[in-house]
Amino acid sequence: MIARPRFWCQSALLVVAAASWGCAYAHPTAPRTTQAPGPKPSVLFAARQLHNPPALTGSGADAQRATLAFIDWAAFSTVDEREDGRRMIASARDNKDVAATLCAEAFKAQKRDHSRALVVLGILGEMRSPLGEECLSRFMRLPFPKEGREVDGEIIEQTALGTLQAKAIDGLAYLHNGTGDAEVLRAVAGHPSRIVRAEAISAYLWNYQNSAEARATLATVVRKGEEIFLDRVRREPGQGKEPFNRSLEAYLKAHPEVIAPAPERSQYAPKPRSPYTTPRATNNPPPPPPQ
Amino acid sequence: MNLRVFKRAITLGAVLLLATQTVPAFAHCAQTSASQADLDLWATHGCWQAFYDWHDPVYGLRSSDWTDRGWNDVCNTNLEYPKHWNAAYLLTYGLLDNNDQSFHGTVDYRATAEAAGGNYHDGLFHLVSDDNQFFGQFQPPDELFTDCPLYDDPVPNANPASRAGDFMHEGWHAWLLKYNWDNGSVGGHRPTQGNCTAKGCDYFYFHNISAYLFGDMWQNDGTANRFHSPNQVQVEFLCDVADQPQAWVPDSVRQAAQADANQRAAQRFINGPGYSCGSPRPW
Repeated sequence: MIARPRFWCQSALLVVAAASWGCAYAHPTAPRTTQAPGPKPSVLFAARQLHNPPALTGSGADAQRATLAFIDWAAFSTVDEREDGRRMIASARDNKDVAATLCAEAFKAQKRDHSRALVVLGILGEMRSPLGEECLSRFMRLPFPKEGREVDGEIIEQTALGTLQAKAIDGLAYLHNGTGDAEVLRAVAGHPSRIVRAEAISAYLWNYQNSAEARATLATVVRKGEEIFLDRVRREPGQGKEPFNRSLEAYLKAHPEVIAPAPERSQYAPKPRSPYTTPRATNNPPPPPPQ
Repeated sequence: MNLRVFKRAITLGAVLLLATQTVPAFAHCAQTSASQADLDLWATHGCWQAFYDWHDPVYGLRSSDWTDRGWNDVCNTNLEYPKHWNAAYLLTYGLLDNNDQSFHGTVDYRATAEAAGGNYHDGLFHLVSDDNQFFGQFQPPDELFTDCPLYDDPVPNANPASRAGDFMHEGWHAWLLKYNWDNGSVGGHRPTQGNCTAKGCDYFYFHNISAYLFGDMWQNDGTANRFHSPNQVQVEFLCDVADQPQAWVPDSVRQAAQADANQRAAQRFINGPGYSCGSPRPW
């Protein structure tokens, strides 16, 4: 039976509507925003007042405001502003209210914002003071989770706290005193996270300029099977290739067992690609560098 | 309209409705906040239109994959799409490319992450997934997924450095596919063994700085002397963000990169640990 023209008109309308929607869905449209575009990054950068950290001073509520402002500045600061920040932190090393605010913020950020917590713990460690030490030691006593959400083969709650406690260990090692060192060596021997144990070894060695004495001390507490961490190759900011390559060469000579076996070929050759599924990617160069 | 025509119209409508249901019904990542590192990096570019206009075709993004994730709200820092291009911004401009100090150059990292086919991989698409069991996935032949743990604060990887680091990791699975290498049967990695404590392990193919000219990271000689694994490429990228960044890269981004590089280097390598990055000085 042939349907009456009226039905075909109605059907055609529906098909056209669906096709239009389908086309809109399948064919990419440019990303959009309802906000007015901002100025170029170079303009934003030029407007910044560099080398001018907020003062880390005051008491009570003033100290609290100043400390929070300083954390925001520190998190956003450039590589070239590092020494400005360090000077300001050193000037506040005996300020109890500043230290208390930093400490409270570290515990708060631990639950809410991992990257902010890293910055705050770094500032506390850089204070190199008993006030910072007390807080970092308390942070190290946060119970390490035994279970949690597994992401890509790791328990994400363990990685989160492990990386933060590794940052706290950096501060304790930087104190370069008996109580701080004792905390670091305890972590080397007994912390449940390899992340923390590895950083404790690295930080201890760094703070003792990789001395033979420091290595001997670590050798008495390092876990069996983790001795290789004492020889681990480190690359530091600004380090040239010669010292790095020399230390890598020495490491591989001392530990030939870490040289990987030859890679293996897959038994399955990749299937030829259909030209119809080729991404519409371009090789366009990006806009000129922003700064 | 008589009853028969009405029924036909209803039937046709139902068929069309069913057909549209093949479009994925998206749940979403948290979409309620952005990390300090994301916000700090964002503040350096202020939602720069020239970049996000460039980014979407270069990363093989399709609007249909990113609907309701910020495709139509590209300056909303809480959403996945803006966070994706924030990471791409770091990757594109954030490295110093010091031939004497960097492991590899922007040219290597960009070619690994971006969609275009070439020496590093065949063409690919970037997609997003609500799967919470992974940071990212490469689904052969050409789909690179980034998942909610790279977008949802307070997961430690929800920052632009770790997100871009995952572009490296998944992009390197595409490299393995292109050149027909077998990196293991546990999701493209090897089972827990040796010095690796995670469930997906790689070998670290140690190499000197300047062993690879910028642009040569894709090369291999079929031996362990000149080869990379996905976790290694990721660690080397994160190290370069931490140690060899442009001066304007915010401290929060550099610190997140360093923390991720070091935890990964300590836990993910059978013949580990990999290199340690950055200074242990706290700030």
